[in-house]
Amino acid sequence: MAYPQNTSDSERSSLSDQSVSSRSFNRSLRVAEKKRRKDTAEDPFFLALKYFSDVEAGTPVTGNDELERNLVLVEKVAHSKGLSPEAISIMLEFAMSLRMGNSPCVRVLKCLIPASLVPQDAIVRGVVWLCVGKIPIATQVLFIKWVLTIFDLVDAKDQLRAIYGFIFSFITEENLCPFICHLLYLLTRKENVRVFRVRKLLELQSKLGRQPFLIHLLSLYKVFCPELVTLSIPSRMKSGFRNHNSTWKSVLTGVQKRNGFHIPSSVAFTIKDKTSSRKRKHCHLELPALTSVANKEAQTEQFSSKKVVPLVQLHSFSQLLENLHCIELPAQMGSLLGSTLALHYLDCVQDESALLRLNFWLGYAFHEEFLFCGDGGTTQNSEEALQFLNKLLSAQHFLQEGFSSSESFLYKFLKVWDGSLLCPQILALLSNIPVVPSSQIGTILFEPLMQLFLTSSLFFKCGLMECLNNMLLKWLTWHSVYALEDDLDISLNSHTSINMTLSGFKDSVMELVHFVGRLASVGLQLEGCHALLLSFILDFYETVCDTFQKYGLPLVIVPPPGVFYPALFATDPVSVDRLAYIMYRYKVNLMSAKSQEKLTKQAFHISRQTFCEFNQSLVVMVNCLWNSKMFNPGMAVQLGDELLLKSNVPQYWASFDLIHHPAFMSYAVDFHQKCWPERQDMDLSSIKHSKPWSWYLEYLFTQGYEGLKHFFQTNISQQMTAGDGQSNTQQK
Amino acid sequence: MSQLRPFSKLPALNTATVLLVENEEQFQQSLAEALVEETSVTVNVRLSKSLPLPTDSDDSRPRIDLVVFIINLTSELSFQSAEASLKYLDPGYFLGKVCFMVTNGRNASVPMERLDAVRKLAATLHCPLLFAEDKTPDGVASAAERLWTILKVAAGLVPITTALYLSNLSRCTLPPDIDQPSFN
Repeated sequence: MAYPQNTSDSERSSLSDQSVSSRSFNRSLRVAEKKRRKDTAEDPFFLALKYFSDVEAGTPVTGNDELERNLVLVEKVAHSKGLSPEAISIMLEFAMSLRMGNSPCVRVLKCLIPASLVPQDAIVRGVVWLCVGKIPIATQVLFIKWVLTIFDLVDAKDQLRAIYGFIFSFITEENLCPFICHLLYLLTRKENVRVFRVRKLLELQSKLGRQPFLIHLLSLYKVFCPELVTLSIPSRMKSGFRNHNSTWKSVLTGVQKRNGFHIPSSVAFTIKDKTSSRKRKHCHLELPALTSVANKEAQTEQFSSKKVVPLVQLHSFSQLLENLHCIELPAQMGSLLGSTLALHYLDCVQDESALLRLNFWLGYAFHEEFLFCGDGGTTQNSEEALQFLNKLLSAQHFLQEGFSSSESFLYKFLKVWDGSLLCPQILALLSNIPVVPSSQIGTILFEPLMQLFLTSSLFFKCGLMECLNNMLLKWLTWHSVYALEDDLDISLNSHTSINMTLSGFKDSVMELVHFVGRLASVGLQLEGCHALLLSFILDFYETVCDTFQKYGLPLVIVPPPGVFYPALFATDPVSVDRLAYIMYRYKVNLMSAKSQEKLTKQAFHISRQTFCEFNQSLVVMVNCLWNSKMFNPGMAVQLGDELLLKSNVPQYWASFDLIHHPAFMSYAVDFHQKCWPERQDMDLSSIKHSKPWSWYLEYLFTQGYEGLKHFFQTNISQQMTAGDGQSNTQQK
Repeated sequence: MSQLRPFSKLPALNTATVLLVENEEQFQQSLAEALVEETSVTVNVRLSKSLPLPTDSDDSRPRIDLVVFIINLTSELSFQSAEASLKYLDPGYFLGKVCFMVTNGRNASVPMERLDAVRKLAATLHCPLLFAEDKTPDGVASAAERLWTILKVAAGLVPITTALYLSNLSRCTLPPDIDQPSFN
């Protein structure tokens, strides 16, 4: 009711500011307005609203046809087009005043679907009626739920914040408490955090137990005033407040979609994305509240003497720097994701409340849209979800770290994921998660991933391998950036400040590498050593083999036999070449670790076992490819002599040297033809003689097999004749 | 009580047979259509509402390599029916030839207890538990592809792998409750 009054107020004040030339324009506008009003006077909907605003208290409900007719009309309009701000004011006032008792009140509340905005004054008046205390408790709950649902559509929040104390007083009412907590969470600012409120919340907590809604509110208080809240807050909390807006949400979504949810451009946020039109979710929706607060700045200052600058008014980086200390965050924290300036702010500011609120917003959106969807997930693959996740990913990419809410979402989502829904986005999010402590990594990450990996297609297997490689790369990069050399303590995530000791970090990396080793071995077995999968696995080991040299992490883990042998006996030369390169890098890492160990006594210790495993693989490789001594006694792969003879393979010991290896045979044939073009019968073994052998190697190296080149240059002593080249594998 | 036995019949050449058991009979049809599109081998799909299967068709029925229980989480009946059907399977099936497929896992109206119960059932029987998005064509195709991955192994079409091996590695485990306060 107060709302139309308000608009004319501002109209008048703006009029006085206008220059003379624009007055005539305004006059014509007003004439048009008057004409419109005349038209609407006959509109049945308008008459219905008039009925509700004028109806006397105590008018009987039963048998009142006029009420029934008008109410049905309002409901029809609400569900089809939504109600205008004025209509919302009138209907809410009618309902909350209980002029005709409780039953029409509930009915009205259920149909309060806003077409665009909700005037703040209407809600303030609603709260006033709550204070009167005549309303049944179930209806009070319904009202607060409604406020929570439309919270983002409220045109300004300053007056609501001004009555923070009144709203807080409802917290003692047990049924209202969860919803009031949620509302307070959305309204709280630093100046609202007071000792007596904290005390009240703690008292409630001791009475009701550790309820998630209380903990959430307390955690926000703690962020604002850590000195007031000494309680320890669990770092992983149950996701957010419960979803309680299902009554209105689907209708609201429908109405807004139909309306195109057009907000006048004067109150639209600059980074608004016109294509997305749903409330609360999916990034930068319109932020009406934000700009209205800005318009009423004079009013705001009555309540807080501190000057605040809304983020929306900043347009350049220098402006951001000037106002960094007094930024007002938008009501919908998700809007930060779409604006680079806001991301800069998040990145450089130490204030944890912004991140906490953003995480809260995200956690809520994830929960509602992906984990527990009202429609059973039919619209999940929609463009909107895709855009949302992409936006989130680019924000994470910008900040170079994942949000904790997306992390805890993933742990839950993996357990109900079908392995294909939004697969690229989910895998990308997964690769952004910060280091997981090794005590938990198995149960929350590896088990669901293992189940998904083994029962999914080849392409999923490749995708997951790539994702795990990226995850490892990020962890190693964090380590090399944040590791403090002296106390071996690394702070991995600047915002959540998870502190981890070096040995803890090493354990997690080790777990991850061993896990991928297991996955890779079984995966190759199931897929018949598919070359594509093998390539992704070798990508991973290219990261693993360089952990010491490239990232300074004192850890060397050699590939398991299930990966080593399929790569060594692969039918494509590229895989063998990459394996040779990986072995070469392992050797470089191990040698430098060894020399460091000699140099400084306190250098890290690489277990004998690692050297043994590596040397064994190296001997196998050299014997196989170079010495033609396959199946020699003492090697890892052993077969009985009788069995080998029975196989009738001639010269079985040479069948995997560089000439007869299935991957290189075609090169050998090609080389043979080039070398002895006049020869009619091909004798590949003749390449094995000392001179053509060195030519053949040169020939292979010129074909781009750099890995093999590095491998042989570091492992085969040059002065030895090719025929009995000695492997230089004695590292221990 | 007539039980379905995994090894009572000889396998046919280049053939894999899967039995889809679903009380609602909603998802199995589309899943079956997606499964038979596989061209490398002959895929036989048998559909059933519940077990036991009628005895009069025993002779004409091929050897069944994999039994899939489809459970719609929004319905308690679906779960109960699957649970009741389990006892008509020969214990030999539980050596890698049974898997559970769950639909509507992300639906808000599903009570958490039911999902936990299904998880517990799959975990105690050491079977894999797959989630499927039955509402979208992509989801159906992906569910069929994942079943085919398991079926291939169960039918012995993948060298050096056995159904028991795969099922043992990919079997459902009971995850810890992340929401518990002790989880920190």
